[in-house]
Parts: sequence; structure tokens; C-alpha cells
Amino acid sequence: MLTRAQSYKLLWDFAIPESLNTSQKWVLSAMQSYGDQLITMLWRILGNEQDVCDAYQDTFLHLAHFENGSKPDNIKAYVFRSAGNTAISILRRRMIEKKNLPQIAARNKENSETVDLDSNTLQLQLRNAITKLPDLLRDIVTLHDLAELPYIQVAKILGITEGSARVYRHKAVQLLAVWMNKEE
Amino acid sequence: MKNKNTICCKDIRSRIGKFISSLISIDAAWIQNHIENCPKCQRRLASLGKVYLAMSLLKSRPHDLDLLKNANMQTIDSLAHSVRHIPKAEKLRNARPQLKFYELISPLKNSIGNTAACFAILFLLKTGIFHSMNKFQSDGEKAVHKYFEKNLGSDLSDEIFS
Repeated sequence: MLTRAQSYKLLWDFAIPESLNTSQKWVLSAMQSYGDQLITMLWRILGNEQDVCDAYQDTFLHLAHFENGSKPDNIKAYVFRSAGNTAISILRRRMIEKKNLPQIAARNKENSETVDLDSNTLQLQLRNAITKLPDLLRDIVTLHDLAELPYIQVAKILGITEGSARVYRHKAVQLLAVWMNKEE
Repeated sequence: MKNKNTICCKDIRSRIGKFISSLISIDAAWIQNHIENCPKCQRRLASLGKVYLAMSLLKSRPHDLDLLKNANMQTIDSLAHSVRHIPKAEKLRNARPQLKFYELISPLKNSIGNTAACFAILFLLKTGIFHSMNKFQSDGEKAVHKYFEKNLGSDLSDEIFS
């Protein structure tokens, strides 16, 4: 039986035309430059090693096949935004899966009632709230707070000014605070 | 002229920023006084605190040191055959998270501080600053001696400075 990662790999092997395969060395350079930071960001968003590996793989495969193998203008921006989006969609999927499993949902509810400030519950609440944020605010939180990129780099990646990044981050934190307290 | 103005504006902007942040910092007395008596603000502060606490919990949870290696392996195996076995790919397969510069030097920070202090003292000795300070001191003493001699007479001033 194939694992999820192996099945992705086989799918990609068949899906990629050979003409694209020659120009992927720069993808390795991107992995070398941003891999460490990306892993940290993905780990903080997802909190599960297999999901992190899948999101990481997905990000670089998208990069390798960006517009028929051409390089994006800003590789860093592409990689971080793509990784963030992939991670959030995986996280949403996991949350739906958890909700659909009645036993786990019941246990979670029980836990949240008994231990309010339990560290896992808090992390889960935050992750849940981050998935609900509007795209731009969510990107700022993931890039600035989870990937720990400075505002100036976040602004460059998102194509906004540094001041706007600060304002959006402030709004995002306020929204997170409201939602996290509603969940109580 | 334009440059001068830009520098001036930047300087003013940073000063304004510092001034405002000192006024509206959460530790400012007037804010603390208000929060003590306002349940609404107390709730808001608590909810913001909860977000920051959750964020620091997310950040403080470490991942496996081999996670980067595993993710790289999984990704490289799905890239084109031609790049799977080049030296760069092999290097990535064994990659481990690199410590940041300040994390690397943190165990050495005391020794670095002491060495820097020694160098600073050596530099001061070399430039003769201690010698100049001694000279200033003796010149100052002489001037005070002269002043007392003039106003109180040489006997009394000799008694004071002996």
C-alpha cells in the first residue's frame, strides 16, 4: 500500500513532461536559501511533521512548475506565500476531519471545558482563528509572527508598505483576540 | 539641502515615535491607572494576552532536528531525475537547521564581553587617555591650590592640600 507522500511522488513523476525536467537546479538553491525558515513557519502553522513535509514538497513542486518551469520574479515571495496558503488549506482540511469525527470532537469539547488555559487547547484555538482571518491579514500573521520575518520583508513579499503591514498585523491580532475569546 | 532635510525629518520622525511610544506604552502610569478601574479594558488586555501567549507557545514548541532533512528528501525525490543526484541535492538531503548568529554566540557572550572590555582598556591606554586624565587632575588641583593661596594665604592652603 502506498503512503500519501509516495503516491504524491508517483503522481508528479507522471504529470511532469520531460521538457520541464532540465531546469530545476535553481529550485534546489531556493530550498537551500529558504528551507530552514519555511520549515519553521510550516511547523508552527501545522504542528504535524508529515503535514509539514507535504506542504514543503507541494510548495517547491509548484515553484518548479511555475509557468512552464520559468523562475518567478521574486522567488522568496512566491515560496513563502505558496507555503503559507498550502499550510492553511491543509490545516482547514484537518479541522474539518476532526469535526467530522464525533468522538474526537466530543473529547475536544470536554477538554476545552475543563482545562481553559491548557497549552494544546490554546494552540489549537489560535490555529483555528488564523484559518478564519482574511487572506492579507493571515499572510501577515504567518510571515511576521510565525516565520519571524521583519516587517520590511513582509511588506516586500506582500507588495505593500511597511506601515500598512504594521496596521494590518494590529488588526489581525485584534480579530484573533475576539475570536479566541468567543470560542471559550 | 534636500539630503539635510531628509536626515532632519528622519531624526524628528524617530523622536516623535519614541515620544509617542513612551506616552502610550502599556507600562505608562496613566494607562495602568485606567486599566485598574476599567473592566472593559481589563477584558481586552486579557484577550490580547491570550493571543500572545498562544503565539509564544507555538513558537516555543521545537520540531525534530531531522524535519528539514526529511522534507528535503521527500521533495528532492519528486523533482526531475536529472537533479536528484547532483552534489547540491545530496547536501540538502543531509541538511540540518542552522543556528542563528546570536544563538551561536550566546554561550560565549560573557567571554566576548570581557575580551571587548580588555581591548577597550588597552585602546584607552594606547591613546594616552589615562595619562591625559591624570594631567587634567593635577592641573585642576594646582588651580584650586592657587585659588586658596590667593584668598586664604599660603599657610592655610598648604595645610589643606598637604
